[in-house]
Amino acid sequence: MSENNRINNDTEQLALDDGRRVKVLSPGMMVFKRFIRNKLAIAGIIILVFMFAFSFLGGVISPYRQDQVFYKTDSANKEYASAVVNTEFRFLTPDGAPLSTLVRANFSRVVKDAGEEGVSFEADGTIWSVKPLAESFYAIGTGKQLGTVTVLGKIADVKADPGEEISDAVKAAALKAAQSGAESFEAEGQTYMLTRGKAKSYTLATVAEAALASLLSYDVYDSADAEAVGTYAFRRAAELALRGGEKRFEADGAAYALDGEGDSGVICREGEDAPIATVSNVIVNPVTAGNFLPMTYKAAVAEAIDNKQTAFEYVNEAGETEKHTIRMRGNNYIVYTEQQTYLIDMYAAPSLSHPLGTDDHGMDVLTRLMYGGRISLMVGFVVMLLENLIGIIVGGVSGYFGGWTDTLLMRFVDLFNSIPYYPMMIIAGAIMDAFEVPPYTRIFLLMAIMGIMGWTGVARVVRGQILSLREQDFMVATEATGIRISRRIFKHLVPNVMPLLIVQATMGLGSIILAEATLSYLGLGIKYPLASWGSIINASSNIYVMTNFWYIWIPAGVLIVLTVLGFNFVGDGLRDAFDPKMKR
Amino acid sequence: MSSTYENVVEVRNLCKYFPIRAGLFGRVVGQVHAVENVTFSIRRGTTMGLVGESGCGKTTVGKTLLNLTPKTSGEVVFNGNTHLDQLKGKELRSFRPKIQLIFQDPYSSLSPRLPVGEIIGEAVREHHLVPDNEFDAYVSRIMKSCGLHDYQKDRYPHEFSGGQRQRICIARAIALNPDFIVCDEPVSALDVSIQAQIINLLEDLQKEFNLTYLFISHDLSVVQHISDTVGVMYLGNMVEFAGKKEIFANPLHPYTQALFSAIPVPDPTVKMNRIILEGSIPSPANPPSGCKFHTRCRECRDVCSQKAPRTLDMGNGHTVACHIYDPESGYGAR
Repeated sequence: MSENNRINNDTEQLALDDGRRVKVLSPGMMVFKRFIRNKLAIAGIIILVFMFAFSFLGGVISPYRQDQVFYKTDSANKEYASAVVNTEFRFLTPDGAPLSTLVRANFSRVVKDAGEEGVSFEADGTIWSVKPLAESFYAIGTGKQLGTVTVLGKIADVKADPGEEISDAVKAAALKAAQSGAESFEAEGQTYMLTRGKAKSYTLATVAEAALASLLSYDVYDSADAEAVGTYAFRRAAELALRGGEKRFEADGAAYALDGEGDSGVICREGEDAPIATVSNVIVNPVTAGNFLPMTYKAAVAEAIDNKQTAFEYVNEAGETEKHTIRMRGNNYIVYTEQQTYLIDMYAAPSLSHPLGTDDHGMDVLTRLMYGGRISLMVGFVVMLLENLIGIIVGGVSGYFGGWTDTLLMRFVDLFNSIPYYPMMIIAGAIMDAFEVPPYTRIFLLMAIMGIMGWTGVARVVRGQILSLREQDFMVATEATGIRISRRIFKHLVPNVMPLLIVQATMGLGSIILAEATLSYLGLGIKYPLASWGSIINASSNIYVMTNFWYIWIPAGVLIVLTVLGFNFVGDGLRDAFDPKMKR
Repeated sequence: MSSTYENVVEVRNLCKYFPIRAGLFGRVVGQVHAVENVTFSIRRGTTMGLVGESGCGKTTVGKTLLNLTPKTSGEVVFNGNTHLDQLKGKELRSFRPKIQLIFQDPYSSLSPRLPVGEIIGEAVREHHLVPDNEFDAYVSRIMKSCGLHDYQKDRYPHEFSGGQRQRICIARAIALNPDFIVCDEPVSALDVSIQAQIINLLEDLQKEFNLTYLFISHDLSVVQHISDTVGVMYLGNMVEFAGKKEIFANPLHPYTQALFSAIPVPDPTVKMNRIILEGSIPSPANPPSGCKFHTRCRECRDVCSQKAPRTLDMGNGHTVACHIYDPESGYGAR
């Protein structure tokens, strides 16, 4: 045995090269050793370890929940109140009963036509007179017919209606008024009215005040004062005093002090400082329903409008000075104020509390990335396992049994391969949208669909590998040495297919994560409030966000790229490590 | 040895046809006549050489013999009573160790994922040939007897040279304590120096374990060296069978004569008298009529293309299938 001799000679001469000196490692150790010598594979492993730590530990460490929305307070110039200068007359009768619509309409018409002149009109079968008391302040009187005044040239006569008596003094005054063409006159402390009737006859009527027509409105500080402020006498006295520029008035036996001029003023009880009511022709309402505007605020607004100011300062109940601005909009004045508001903290720039800022929902981007990584990686692994499970079974059966089984299964694979992937996924996504599948169920459905759509590649590879291995001499040898079929499959076939499968699966993981990211980016995959890296990038699908808020989409993109790169590096490293022909 | 029957294997009228399929539904449109009516027997402890051109069906004989490809017809009997094609499942598997195979290609015949010790010992453990506690020692002993070191047990096939791999293949076969080994061109992939080592190893092992070989080769000098009997095949038929000395001294069939004239003689002064065969080997899918060799035979006469020759016993265990030696064939006098 010459070869034997040669080896023995070598042993003696070259003891350092002796085969026995070579340490024999177990197959697993060999693979491991070859793997860790591959720098790229180590880089890949480091990337993946980081990604897993980031995703699975990060979520634990992060102080925020993945769907926690952050708020900020911010000052905004918001519409606070609207004010309008009242041009609609308000009517008050002594007994508080409302005036009929017809009377009010006639009054308005008459006032518009006649201006400040005292006029009369007939409505509801009664004669009404309008008597200006002050600017934009009228007393409406009702008349009671006493008789008829007839004027024929120099001859004039006053004839009393049956049952009525007219004193001589009144008669004389009536004749005088009729001849001079006046519509009303006063006699014996009573106002009388002449209404032109047919030909040269006038109707003579007494006039009694029935209502006040005013443009002013009163706001009461304390509801206990509402009754006093609401009385006819109070209103009449107050407005006359206001219009007349007086500082005090009396009504219902009480004296009041009035501070103000023109259209607005503040009313106090005489000798007291606390105002009981404000009066103004400006009506102030809050913009937000239910927002209570304090009296002092309303007064301040009215005063500012009266003074034609565009901005005023108001000291609120808490003693703070608020700045308000007034702008005209049509007939309305809108009051704006700088207000502290509670806002969702959208697109916040990176800071200590949010290292990567917040997204369009006001959620912490870093935390979203961590939780999103969990889902992205989980989807990758589950889909990969599913694909390989189906692929190995179908491919293995197809390759090992061959014949018509193989033909049938491979045509089935062809059929699956000819289903267009993305249109199919878009349809599936739309169906899930239509059924409003909950987010978690959606993930599982997504994984199932991706797995079912993706196993054909694995099946082809496994089948091809098994077909070629089946014909290898070492498989014939296992038959010739009478080794049982299960051992042939698991000791000889599987170990020879396994490395390829592991490499394929590792490489495949990257592409599955990419596919999931693509689907989520298109809005078909993971849905809010859950996140995946793809759906985080989806948030920046408009050019404004993309150009202005880099910190939302670039980190997610970097994570995807790194993870896919990591899986590919590790896959490459595994392929080289599993290859026994590689140098150690 | 379980049997003392003199002939380890007897082959009678072995035929193997491979169907040629075509078309969408795999219709059989023809058959490759890989092996036709091959008959021979091998005595215990001897080596039969099987020679012939490439594609003449030598390897198919070997594989069909071991029932690795099912035969079409004929009979293969081991130890006088065992018909492999009649055994099923477990019985077949437990008989397998008795008959082994050494492959032509030492590279594809070893699983790259198993260490050498496992490759050699796997079937030993499978068939419980030695007790578990003696297993390691047994494998070491087998490796040693095949010229391998036992420290190589844990190495993988790719760490070995072609010759070492072939030793591993031989060790795998020997480890099962077989009666009969089909050596399917075991040295044709190796260079000449290694060939000699392997041939010597096979001879040593034959003596040590009283093995019987069917040595398939196209290399006549190797066959001349190792064989006790030699069968010559041409296009699926066994055209001549005889003892080594007899056939090399007195080849009868024109094909055998042509084949043997091509053996190189390592002496430049010797004038070689080579018989050059015209043309190439015909397709086994469409073999010539009559004697299959008639298209290339320089002794060809009319009868050769019309009638298939009988196999004639020329005495002294020498059989030949040729019309020339058949007085009843109508070939006429030489």
